[in-house]
Amino acid sequence: MLDHDIVTFIQSGVSITLAGCAPGHMPSMSRGFACKPLENGERIGIVLPRTQAAEALENIRLTGRVAVAFSQPTTNRTLQLKGTDACIVAFDPRDEPLIRKHVDDFVPEAVALGTPEEMVRALLSYRAEDLVMVSFTPSTGFDQTPGPKAGHPLTAAQ
Amino acid sequence: MSVRLDTIRECLEGIIPGHIVTCDAAGMPNVAFLSQVEYVDNEHVALSYQFFNTTRRNVLAGSPVRLLLTSHLTARQYRLALRYLRTETAGPLFERMKAKLSGIAAHSGMTGIFRLLGADIYRVEGIVPVPGGSISPPPPAVNGLNALRRSTERLSTCINLECLLEKAVDCLEEEFGIQHLMLLMHDEARGCLYTLASRGYAHSGIGSEIPVGSGLIGICARERSPIRIGFMTNEYAYGRTVRDGLAADGQLDALETAIPLPGLPNAASQMAIPIVAANRLLGVIYLESLADLHFGYDEEDALVVFAAQLGLAMQHHQLADEATEESPPAEHAPAPIQGPPLTVRHFAANDSVFLDDDYLIKGVAGAILWALLNDYTRRGRTSFTNKGLRVDSRIRLPGTSDNLEARLVLLQRRLAERDLGIAIDKTSRGRFSLTVTRPLTLLES
Repeated sequence: MLDHDIVTFIQSGVSITLAGCAPGHMPSMSRGFACKPLENGERIGIVLPRTQAAEALENIRLTGRVAVAFSQPTTNRTLQLKGTDACIVAFDPRDEPLIRKHVDDFVPEAVALGTPEEMVRALLSYRAEDLVMVSFTPSTGFDQTPGPKAGHPLTAAQ
Repeated sequence: MSVRLDTIRECLEGIIPGHIVTCDAAGMPNVAFLSQVEYVDNEHVALSYQFFNTTRRNVLAGSPVRLLLTSHLTARQYRLALRYLRTETAGPLFERMKAKLSGIAAHSGMTGIFRLLGADIYRVEGIVPVPGGSISPPPPAVNGLNALRRSTERLSTCINLECLLEKAVDCLEEEFGIQHLMLLMHDEARGCLYTLASRGYAHSGIGSEIPVGSGLIGICARERSPIRIGFMTNEYAYGRTVRDGLAADGQLDALETAIPLPGLPNAASQMAIPIVAANRLLGVIYLESLADLHFGYDEEDALVVFAAQLGLAMQHHQLADEATEESPPAEHAPAPIQGPPLTVRHFAANDSVFLDDDYLIKGVAGAILWALLNDYTRRGRTSFTNKGLRVDSRIRLPGTSDNLEARLVLLQRRLAERDLGIAIDKTSRGRFSLTVTRPLTLLES
């Protein structure tokens, strides 16, 4: 479903934002702290802190619908993956190195644009016991890089 | 509302891009990144509309809207609930956002791609802090409120316009810590602004002109709205913009072009603040810096109040000078004449005046100087009044809307910069004197 380039991109130093909405609830979003391909790349998992993402998690629990945007600060390359079968699973502590790698990869991206490292690390600080994973099968994907191709479907995700 | 929008405005600067979430009719969420959120007031923000995308389609279909904003100073995050109200495609807010977006686009390599189509106005229905890590913000470079208080105290000691304008630039430099700045006055009749004072440039540029509507300064004047840019952008590099604008409008002859505009060729941060009093534009304060994001919302607030204070004081001093009763001015003893003769040439077509073949000034200030020098050489007159100039048919002032006192300050400064033996000095309210220390030859061309 996801080609190698996309799988590499969503695991690099990109900002990750996960959103959910449900009837009668406000749409909500939260920063993701890591992205992990699951089931041979058929599904992906987004790690995020439960306390920050409480509203989005509740929306996902109600509908299973999820959208996740990945954006590289220094290039503006942005893509969004959506799914309708999202579920919330426990965070496996063995995945914690993924978070440390994601933060280490994201720091130079943000610092290159003038944001101090201390601020970036505070933004992506967490307590391991607060983490949770949202897992879903990407059913649609879109290129959102600003420019002429913005909004085009990702061919590899169709 | 648990958090007031005016206490978290640094989150709106776009340093950490905001996120917007909407959902479509089928209930599918959509995430997008925001290049710009503009503070309107505590209940309203404006988002830049640049592309017709899924977000916009969802918003126009009535989707609830949520923003996630992040402070670049503290790493604190806030979620805002918004409701779309309307889109503006012209006016002060639109121009403020267009200018700011131009800087953001240049900074992020998106020049030509980020283009403002509209300012989408939203009502802010709630702001909640997001739990998470944070750091202490660094102390601000300047305490704007204290700078304002000290400046107000200094301006209140002035007894005339000349003193007021000098103190105003002193305050901007010393109290607000601004290293590169200009104070420009509005010429209503000619639709332009002329530089009356500047700091931080190799050449003062006093007397240089910018048409209303051209570049950052001209747009600020036209819209009577503060405009602020945080990153270097060629689109608002005003020197070039002004030249292009002049050529396009065929105004090159009408505007002062012999005196180059001061200004940093590579300014990163720029801010222009209109000076308005009694609903009239009196001038513009322009500030710039080589540093990115040098001016924020707090500096803008403090300087808008400073400009309002300055505007009221300018109006007061101008009216007081105009109201001075005409009485025979006392002639002072003429200064000793010495040194080589100075040739003063006047071109009636545009009232330009040259001193020994070097350009000095044109327009109303040129006409004033020519009248003064003629009265001096023919009748030995050295004392003059503002009221006398107003009724002098040789000068053709456009009316009381013209700031005569400011023009006299301009003329005084141009003469002082050249230092060729002609000076004018304020003697009392509404009165001034001419001092000539070299033999003059007047030539009418």
